[in-house]
Amino acid sequence: MSTEDRTNSASYYSITEHDQPGKLRRQLSFVLRSWTLNLAGAMEFRLSFLLTAGMMMINNIVWIVFWGLYFNRFQVLNGWELHDVMMLWAVSAGGFGLMATFFGNASRIANIIATGQLDVYLAQPKPVLLHVLISRMSVSAIGDVLFALLVFAIFGDKSAAGIAKFGLAMAIAAVIFIFFSVIVNCLAFWVGNTEGLSIQLFNALLTFTTYPTSIFKSWGKLVLFAVIPAGFISYLPIGLLREINLPFLIGALAVSALFVACGTLLFYRGLKRYTSGNMMTLRR
Amino acid sequence: MTTLGKMAKYAFIGKITLRNQLAYIIDFLIRSLFLLLILYIFLQLWQATFHGEGDASLIAGYSFNQIMWYLVITEAITLACPSLCTRIEEEVKNGDVGYRLVRPIHFVVFHYVEYMSEAAVRFGVNAVLGGTLGLLIIGPPELSAGFLWLPLAAAFGLTVNFMLNMTLALCAFWVEETRGIEFVYNKFLFTIGGMLMPLELFPDALQAVGRWLPLQAVLYIPAKTAVAFDASRLAGMLAVQVLWIAVIGLAVAWIYRRGVKKLNVNGG
Repeated sequence: MSTEDRTNSASYYSITEHDQPGKLRRQLSFVLRSWTLNLAGAMEFRLSFLLTAGMMMINNIVWIVFWGLYFNRFQVLNGWELHDVMMLWAVSAGGFGLMATFFGNASRIANIIATGQLDVYLAQPKPVLLHVLISRMSVSAIGDVLFALLVFAIFGDKSAAGIAKFGLAMAIAAVIFIFFSVIVNCLAFWVGNTEGLSIQLFNALLTFTTYPTSIFKSWGKLVLFAVIPAGFISYLPIGLLREINLPFLIGALAVSALFVACGTLLFYRGLKRYTSGNMMTLRR
Repeated sequence: MTTLGKMAKYAFIGKITLRNQLAYIIDFLIRSLFLLLILYIFLQLWQATFHGEGDASLIAGYSFNQIMWYLVITEAITLACPSLCTRIEEEVKNGDVGYRLVRPIHFVVFHYVEYMSEAAVRFGVNAVLGGTLGLLIIGPPELSAGFLWLPLAAAFGLTVNFMLNMTLALCAFWVEETRGIEFVYNKFLFTIGGMLMPLELFPDALQAVGRWLPLQAVLYIPAKTAVAFDASRLAGMLAVQVLWIAVIGLAVAWIYRRGVKKLNVNGG
């Protein structure tokens, strides 16, 4: 089957049960099975797994220490308090951790395209984008997720509503991270190997999400919400966790949905242009 | 071989590394854009902080201009440092270390010359980029003799960083995987080493701890020398750097001698 035929039949792989009863259940089972196998692979080297995840937790804790020192000297930063910054780190690290743990290939798509490794996924009867995304698990990112849960356990609101709001905040952050990464990596379909550029753009998003939105003014704030969607993640501790700000929450959900749609569309549009390099590869 | 001959040998290694780095200067320039991003964020953060303090002119003895130029220097040095652990870990894993050890070049000195040449090019590029951003947005720094001492203090700082990294990287002779330790070391450098803010902003107890650690010699001393120059303290600060170079240098020599006997070379 050619790439184009395969792409034209993308609708066949959409998540719908129309004319295909049980398809959604089979896909969910496929996703769960992939995650289980990824985790089993990570646990094969148990000591290495614990060290890698532990190092990532220490890395994040050092940033928490920095902010602790900062707020020890300056109690409030344009309305943000230590508690808000802790939750900002929980949401940002948690969202990134969910992306890299469960959709670990999101940041490697440009490399996969440029090196012709997509062939492996095209030859298998599964939705291509979903299959690519879930085929890798970053072991260190498990440390990010554990860190997020730890910070929430210490600083978060542990009521049922608080837990639900934190879960929603992490989900929004993860969706934005995943599909922003998909979009910038898809440039490789048109421009060639853009791995370096994609990493730079993603790092810019990630870096902006770990600083309070209140420090940015005028153009900075505009970029944060209109160009790089970091503001929709970094304002979550105020606009969702501290108190629900409905217009902001609707905006964040709409932006997440928009990124999912654009990312998916861009990937399958790009896939029409994909040409195999005839490289022999195996799934690892 | 005479001492002069030995020095010429290492000078050539440095020259080759410099030429290698200069060949990819545009690529490195693009990758250095992250420096501009992080400086922009810190600019916003410290503007908000000074504003929050009632537009104070000084915080812990630093003006806004001094803090920003302090950060330009610490970030420029930090992003100039190559990852020594990655390099030596790879050499041990793929067996290249075997070839390196049988050459008539000292393993540690070879890496030092390579490290410093690479760091010099990167620091130069970062200084130009950061300096341009600083001049455009922050305004010129308060010029003092400190900026004349910066190259020397930065060279000493990079040497201390090399020594500390080498003690970690040589662990690869025993355990192979050292990047995790390097990762954590870097994070300590960022905080208690004074990369993110000057030590004077820390609580007293932590300041006292910081002053007994070699980490202050890497970033804090070069940046402080440049932006808050105090002629009466200069000799003391440079002496601290030299002392740490000597102490950690001895530790590196001891670890290297033990490690090289322990090393098992894979393949090659």
